[in-house]
Amino acid sequence: MKKIVSPILGVLLAVSLMLTGCGSQSTTSPSAPQAEKTLIEGRGGDSVSLDPANVTDGESLRVTENIFDTLVAYKPNNTEIIPSLATEWKASPDGKEWTFTLQDGVKFHDGTDFNADAVVFNFQRWMDKSNPYHTGGDFDYFQSMFGGFKGDKGCVIADVKALDKTHVQFRLTVPQAPFLANVAMTAFAMASPDAVKKYGDKFGQNPVGTGPFVFKEWKPNDSITVVKNKNFWQKGLPKLDKLIFRVIPDNTARLTALQSGELDLMDGLNPSDAATVKGNSKLQLVTRPSMNVGYLSFNTTKPPFDNVKVRQALSMAVNKKGLVDAFYNGMALPAKNALPPSVWGYNDAVKDYEYNLDAAKKLLAEAGYPNGFETDFWAMPVARQYMPQPQKIAESIQADFAKIGVKTKIVSMEWATYLKKTKNGEHPMALLGWTGDNGDPDNFLYVLLDKDNANPPAASNISLYKNDKVHELLFKAQITPDIQVRTDLYKQAQLLIHDDAPMVPLVHSTPLLASASYVKGFIAHPTGTERFTEVSIEK
Amino acid sequence: MALASTQTVSKYIPTHWYDGWKRLRKQKTAIVGLSIILFFIVAGLLAPLLAPGHWDGQNLAVRLQPPSAQHWFGTDDLGRDLLTRVLYGARISLWVGFFAVAGSIVLGSILGLSAGYFGKWIDTLISRIFDIMLAFPSILLAIAIVTILGPSLVNALIAIAIINIPTYGRLIRSKVLSIKEEEYIAAAKVIGMGHTRIILRHILPNSVAPIIVQGTLGIATAVLEAAALGFLGLGAQPPQPEWGKMIADSRQYITTAYWTVLFPGLAIMLTVLGFNMFGDGLRDALDPKMKQ
Repeated sequence: MKKIVSPILGVLLAVSLMLTGCGSQSTTSPSAPQAEKTLIEGRGGDSVSLDPANVTDGESLRVTENIFDTLVAYKPNNTEIIPSLATEWKASPDGKEWTFTLQDGVKFHDGTDFNADAVVFNFQRWMDKSNPYHTGGDFDYFQSMFGGFKGDKGCVIADVKALDKTHVQFRLTVPQAPFLANVAMTAFAMASPDAVKKYGDKFGQNPVGTGPFVFKEWKPNDSITVVKNKNFWQKGLPKLDKLIFRVIPDNTARLTALQSGELDLMDGLNPSDAATVKGNSKLQLVTRPSMNVGYLSFNTTKPPFDNVKVRQALSMAVNKKGLVDAFYNGMALPAKNALPPSVWGYNDAVKDYEYNLDAAKKLLAEAGYPNGFETDFWAMPVARQYMPQPQKIAESIQADFAKIGVKTKIVSMEWATYLKKTKNGEHPMALLGWTGDNGDPDNFLYVLLDKDNANPPAASNISLYKNDKVHELLFKAQITPDIQVRTDLYKQAQLLIHDDAPMVPLVHSTPLLASASYVKGFIAHPTGTERFTEVSIEK
Repeated sequence: MALASTQTVSKYIPTHWYDGWKRLRKQKTAIVGLSIILFFIVAGLLAPLLAPGHWDGQNLAVRLQPPSAQHWFGTDDLGRDLLTRVLYGARISLWVGFFAVAGSIVLGSILGLSAGYFGKWIDTLISRIFDIMLAFPSILLAIAIVTILGPSLVNALIAIAIINIPTYGRLIRSKVLSIKEEEYIAAAKVIGMGHTRIILRHILPNSVAPIIVQGTLGIATAVLEAAALGFLGLGAQPPQPEWGKMIADSRQYITTAYWTVLFPGLAIMLTVLGFNMFGDGLRDALDPKMKQ
């Protein structure tokens, strides 16, 4: 009867497979001696690199936010600008010259002085492709926020120079309206010049900044540990001694880890689990103000997606309302623009494509595909704030597409590869999303849909959508200081984009987080990355 | 196995097969196992008639509904009828199980027969290859093969077939080694019979019984391995209703909607149980030592 045992083993196997995601190491449990205050945050994916200038994903920036400082920063709960490494700033009347006054006496974690020369060094590294330290990545954010690199036609920054030890001056080619908001972005953080010189393209594994925490250890796909910076310029802070970012890909497994005390805080709570958290007195629910979009991008350079009718037809075959109800528990809005309604400039006059499979099929036939076609459908391997269950959402959209004859195969790959390949335009159709960095519409529309950013291998406009009229509007909006005029320009651009349907905006989610009730002072920032400077553990 | 039991027919059937069937019928567990297998085969074949819906009939409005008169097994997170998906899943699992094992047996037999019959360096080479393959944990080897070929149901089948080759190969080799020494083989050689004819007409038929037993048990393992690969996202791709994949997709609902994992899990368990019970009974029935 030996073999009878194996079905039981089978069930055990199934159960154990289900539980493997939970992990079981509790060696770093927060019950260490009272002197050491450690907070462990669980998240869905690992960082790609810890060089903030060379990443665009939230999982990387979430960590660098705590290691580095920017010249100016955002308030803890919105995108208003506050002083950080720079205490004051001033623009010339024509908006083309910006002068920042820096703090005196701040030191990087490795002991290097922070001063105007360090600022110049960082900007030179990012903007000048011929700079010897322009290594470690593609500097995507610099390219997309400042219109290209030094020598490119669109590059906004003409020159950066140190006036004296604590004053640095920027000369711009055009008066870029969101300049200050851009400079505040986590990506444009000050790295130690000595460390950059020492590590070269390995700086992303050895980050050195001026921030509240000092990088200690990175175990790939497991955890990143940072410890308190004892010489942090905000005296008496941070309150924590140690901060650990742990990767637990599955949202449910992560919640289980939080419940069992392995984690103190978790990002990416499944909306369907919100009730569980509310019902547990040891946990608290944290909502992040919504400033994101989850979308389905069509690669407009690959047939049949180069045909606008095909894109429009598929736009009609997505049941956004159904997705919101099923996968967000109502904690999201169906999207009709790439820009979320929480950001100014949103065009509510855009009329969304109506969910109508018959009309979609008809339009598809008009486009020359009466029997549909077959294609790959890329879906993210990890849960994101704007999309807690990408595989499920893909499967749901897949079923609707099948009804109009479009047969799709869901393709998934490792997260870093996924980002790299979509930036390179290798996908026919892919799910992705964007969380705003600075609260400016430019940070959505220009980044995601301008032709300046449609250049593989570093395209942030992964639809590779190129429309000159849209570009004209977006560029004009960038260099116009008047917010009313800018609003108007963005509204026009959204109408044009809607008609071209380079992507299907799916939802604007209100991301949910959960923490143990003894975690105090944690405020979720709309940009998706937050500092743990003021966070404490009070048991 | 559906052999008639009347005396007239039995004349045309090798007696040990007939005896085996007689002994098998007396074994209750084997018959129960066979019934379970037949039940799932019928369920899979008649799925289009039995199933209340379409296996990919998504309806987000009725997601995660508990079992009811309308949805006997409830619905999953995309509002698909679970009974329908479990029935269609029987097709996939049995298909994978049967063909993966058939593939292993064919390749394993060719290699095992060559190794056992020809001996010398051929034996050494093939046996060492088997040893190497058996040195890997089989599911890891399967994962590696699927990773190379790309995740899909057919590739999962191929991977499962490959990892099980040594099991059958070794079994048949050991059998061949003993049969080879029998006098009737020597006789066949003496009268000048060719290798192919000796192998196919004399050795193979006499070494097939343990393979059948092992194959039946092997289907159970293959079903489980396919489910494990499906669970890991390396086997069946969405929206295919593969049982392991169904469990993987629903595991986050285990506390709130138990039926989404319970029914596919039960289906896997029963199928595996059926093949194991039948295989066990078959072994006892075909074992010459059990002859009265």
